[in-house]
Amino acid sequence: MAEENAGMVNPAIFEHLQLKIDEDTSIRDELREIVQTLEKQERSAQSILSRAHSTPTSQLQDVATAAEAAIRHEIESISRLSRTASNHPYYKYNATWTRQVQDACFTILLCGWLGGFASEAVPVNLKDRDAFHLTIEEYLQSLISLVDELARLARNSVTLGDYSRPLQISQFIKDLHAGFQILNLKNDSLRKRSDGIKYRVKEVEDVVYDLSLRNLVPKS
Amino acid sequence: MHHSEDNRAVSPFLPMFETFRAELDEHHDRRERVIKASRDITAASKKIIFSLQRARALKQQIPQGIQKANKQFYEIISAQYNAVSKDLQGLNAYRYSGQITGGNQEFMEAASFQHYLEKQSLISLEESRAKLRGLGGESGSLMLTLDDYLLGIFDMTGELMRFAITAMATNGELPGGESRSKSFPNAVNDINAGAIEIPAARLPQRNVLADLRQLRSCLEGLDVGGNGRLARDTEKKTEVMRICVDKVERALYGLIIRGRERPKGWLPMDEGGKQEVESY
Repeated sequence: MAEENAGMVNPAIFEHLQLKIDEDTSIRDELREIVQTLEKQERSAQSILSRAHSTPTSQLQDVATAAEAAIRHEIESISRLSRTASNHPYYKYNATWTRQVQDACFTILLCGWLGGFASEAVPVNLKDRDAFHLTIEEYLQSLISLVDELARLARNSVTLGDYSRPLQISQFIKDLHAGFQILNLKNDSLRKRSDGIKYRVKEVEDVVYDLSLRNLVPKS
Repeated sequence: MHHSEDNRAVSPFLPMFETFRAELDEHHDRRERVIKASRDITAASKKIIFSLQRARALKQQIPQGIQKANKQFYEIISAQYNAVSKDLQGLNAYRYSGQITGGNQEFMEAASFQHYLEKQSLISLEESRAKLRGLGGESGSLMLTLDDYLLGIFDMTGELMRFAITAMATNGELPGGESRSKSFPNAVNDINAGAIEIPAARLPQRNVLADLRQLRSCLEGLDVGGNGRLARDTEKKTEVMRICVDKVERALYGLIIRGRERPKGWLPMDEGGKQEVESY
């Protein structure tokens, strides 16, 4: 028998494996290219949004509007990602884009909080079909980023002479904190990061305390 | 110090977070179940491999005693896969593939080792998938990823090493090509009698070492891409596999060069020797 001397491995086995691995690699490359574009767009959106820390409240709408334009590019990339990713099992490649999608989601949330649009066309927590979506974990991660950013904004608002914004922020992140507290998080990155929320709450409370101590809190 | 006018007692986001909580709890429970099943499948597979190591012959039915001993472990594996199958359907197949991969790899290791002992050939990805598919039960079939398969095969090289070394220690020769080696019954004696030239036919073409070397070259030839999980995992396993092949080669060298000068069962390497004590 020819097969007898050919050895234990049928060459077809490894030819097939190589073919499958190459297919997988090219899918990853394709996704990575989209994700890199998204990352650039996210950075430019974030650089616009960071102007909020040095912009008086009266002109903040301009920042939000400028950020909106940048975020539209992100949304285009996410749509492209969605089309490509939906051709494949979602969780097989989720790790390729999860961080960039979290960051993009954060810019959308922050822009929305500052008075921008914040409308998403991506489903959250898809369960019934295997297609692109935003997972709950990704959404929660971006909420934590939002909390961190708003804590910073609370201090900087005071510097800019806006004494009512810290109160707004304080209430908002307290509400989010209450939400996070009812979650049963496991010992993962979400848990570690969400543990930090209480310090942000405390930081902003301190700002509010400093204001009220000096009678700087506006009467509503 | 607070401003009670907007200090709401209840966060307006609570309903949303309650939904998240329910979803995440469900997710964590599923994850836990998969992890537990994977652990049990791993343990049972290890036991199967351990019994299979008692086999001494290649290309033959697994001895009755071993088959009988392994029946219960196959039943455990089947029951575990069956129970967890509902958590691994559709979208969730890849969602928890990182949790089930340990069990899948160990199962692959056992299945491919048994397949090798019986047929002296490498089980294919499709054959392996067919084996696992049947274990899903009513909830649907189970998925074996290419990574599960490949990493299981890498680990199987370690079993081939143990099998080869045990056989050398107990029978004084490498398993494989027995029918041919029987036509050279005096091969080892010839060497001991001072025949300097080691006859080429003394080493059958298709013994475990030849197979191991071929498998090594196939696995090393695979291009797993520059990055990603598979690349990282195979890098580690490639190193271990090389050591395994090396151990068999060293053991064979000792066998050839010293022949029967030394007592049966004695091994040149400490690591190998330790294995031997267990298998007696």
